[in-house]
Amino acid sequence: MTQAAEANPYAPQVARLSRVIDETPTIKTFCFDLEQPMEFRAGQFVQLGVPGLGEAPFTPSSSPLEPGHLEVTVLRTGGVTERLHRMGEGDVCTLRGPYGKGYPVEKLEGKDVVVVGGGVGLAPLRALIHVLLSMTDRLNKVVIKNGARESAELLFRRQYDEWAAHDKVSFEMTIDAPEPGWAGHVGVVTTVLEDLPNEVNVPNSYAFSCGPEIMLRFVTFALLEKGFQPEQIYLSMNRRMSCGIGKCGRCNIGPYYLCKDGPDMCYAQIKDYPNVF
Amino acid sequence: MSKMLFLSEDGLVRLLEAVKASEVYAAVRRERGPEYCHLQKVPEAELALREPRPSSSLKAFLQPAKERVAVYTNEGFDVEASRLVCEDRALVGLRACDLVAIAYLDKVFREGDFKDPFYEARRESELLVSVDCVAVHENCFCTAVGGRPFAESGFDLNITPLESGYLVEVGTERGREVVDRVADAAAEPTDEQLAERNAARQKSIDQVEKQTRGLRVTDKVQELLLAKQGTDELSEMAARCVECAACTFICPTCHCFHLYDQVGGEENFERIRTWDSCILGGYSRMAGPAGAKPTPRPSLRSRCANRLLHKYAFSPQQYGMLGCTGCGRCIEACCGEIDIREVLRELIGDTSG
Ligand SMILES: Cc1cc2nc3c(=O)[nH]c(=O)nc-3n(C[C@H](O)[C@H](O)[C@H](O)COP(=O)(O)OP(=O)(O)OC[C@H]3O[C@@H](n4cnc5c(N)ncnc54)[C@H](O)[C@@H]3O)c2cc1C
Ligand code: SF4
Ligand code: SF4
Ligand code: FES
Repeated sequence: MTQAAEANPYAPQVARLSRVIDETPTIKTFCFDLEQPMEFRAGQFVQLGVPGLGEAPFTPSSSPLEPGHLEVTVLRTGGVTERLHRMGEGDVCTLRGPYGKGYPVEKLEGKDVVVVGGGVGLAPLRALIHVLLSMTDRLNKVVIKNGARESAELLFRRQYDEWAAHDKVSFEMTIDAPEPGWAGHVGVVTTVLEDLPNEVNVPNSYAFSCGPEIMLRFVTFALLEKGFQPEQIYLSMNRRMSCGIGKCGRCNIGPYYLCKDGPDMCYAQIKDYPNVF
Repeated sequence: MSKMLFLSEDGLVRLLEAVKASEVYAAVRRERGPEYCHLQKVPEAELALREPRPSSSLKAFLQPAKERVAVYTNEGFDVEASRLVCEDRALVGLRACDLVAIAYLDKVFREGDFKDPFYEARRESELLVSVDCVAVHENCFCTAVGGRPFAESGFDLNITPLESGYLVEVGTERGREVVDRVADAAAEPTDEQLAERNAARQKSIDQVEKQTRGLRVTDKVQELLLAKQGTDELSEMAARCVECAACTFICPTCHCFHLYDQVGGEENFERIRTWDSCILGGYSRMAGPAGAKPTPRPSLRSRCANRLLHKYAFSPQQYGMLGCTGCGRCIEACCGEIDIREVLRELIGDTSG
């Protein structure tokens, strides 16, 4: 970010798309080679937009270890995301950030880490996965679970084998609606959490989940049922945001502004406020 | 010259002339009662220093209802065009509760990791001239939320209207510069004048206390509200709320806004900020299939409760102060005749605290 843009937190920089990757029929990844690298922590988000149309919050899916190359993976769902999906290499986007706290990676030394994604929810989690894979020597275990509606909507499928090939890392996927020939697991993502107590040492674990709120709800209840404490569960509360910097008031849960204090919130912090799910 | 001085009616006129700001916003007499106005736009209007507080809040002068916050092109952000050039400004006739609101907005916009350069520019160029409330509006309840109907800090100059003439208290160097320009018109206050000020202040406190009928928003109230979160009790007022958002637009501390982009002139784009309101259904609506976009607070009840909780329970945790100054403006503004004092009273009982 430029000096000037820093002084005006509402002002975007412009960034030219270096590549657009088709991920699934509804999801694309937008790649930028930034002139000025954007340093961010896994889980921090950016405001990405279409000039003259507006911006929306997205958590980069690329590795924070390569701040010069930024990737944002976007589900087509409304005004801004429709227009983004029509853009291609060389087109100009607006960009500002990073905002929010990011995942508490420093807490994970020696721990079992459970990562649960649903649909496009795996995108923000991929930044975390990149970081986890770079520090497996300091972790006890990484268990990744991913769910999608149908096999065509499985995000980053080309990378699953590569992730699972890492020492200490396991990966499991499931889809809700199988097509003929599907040999994998079938069922919502909570069905692949059933065996979790045998896969990880629950009291020594942290779980991170991102996906639609309805999924977060069922994942949370499943984790609690498996013996996780609310303190061990982190949820991406990706709600409507505008300013991204704790001023516009839009994104509160209780006294927290998700853009500033999250967007990944420890369940223990938010569970007693109404309208969490 | 001392911190306190006496000015006659004429002396005060001269003092206000000596406020050499290029933009003056002041409490003035209008047909329907006192309002805050851009003085240069209503040059004929008389100042309202002995009337109750204006029914409008000064928020519009600190954070305009609509404002351009950035200009950019396909090549980048236009620093020059996005900068706020702010002339010297003065706010005249502010009430103690308005100064509390400014202190609150300062915490929102001038503190934390990100500062709002527009708010900041205005505040830095601002002279604050407050006035004691010698007349109290029937909806005022500042003493119930820890305030008083006169200011003891936070101003550059504070005016106390007396039976005849005014006492002016200097709060800052900036205020001092203004009174120095009318030094010849100023006198040392007499003991009688100081006593008159104390008596007038006590009278106003008594009046506000009388109409608040023992209402006190204490730490205990905060706990009580938190304990009642999610219960129907907290959202009773939703039955009368017509979702017009007037309460939030009139409120001096409400600061919610929305950012949107538009095509500006030739080849450039603008980012605009407008006021927004947590009472409105679309406020937190997320993406999703048309007609089924989820929102975390789908019911009006939940949004009414959130407003109440933000004012009296969340703000103390976020900013160390209540989000309500007790100005009572939302009471007149409400189309559903919701009286926030009654809402609180029903929740906590008449004599709590
Ligand atoms: C911190 C955070 C991280 C996110 N990360 C991703 C990601 O990596 N990939 C992804 O596909 N999606 C992500 N989302 C959701 C994404 O922001 C919304 O899908 C997007 O805003 C929809 O915009 P739209 O204009 O296409 O939809 P519309 O329905 O047309 O939205 C209109 C307006 O509402 C706002 N809006 C709508 N839904 C949301 C929402 N859920 N959150 C915030 N603002 C919203 C937009 O800013 C937009 O201006 C994230 C959301 C947040 C808050
Ligand atoms: S609430 Fe108190 S300070 Fe504010 S105008 Fe009323 S009496 Fe004056
Ligand atoms: S909530 Fe009502 S009484 Fe309190 S500061 Fe806002 S407008 Fe004034
Ligand atoms: S997005 Fe503005 S306060 Fe969080």
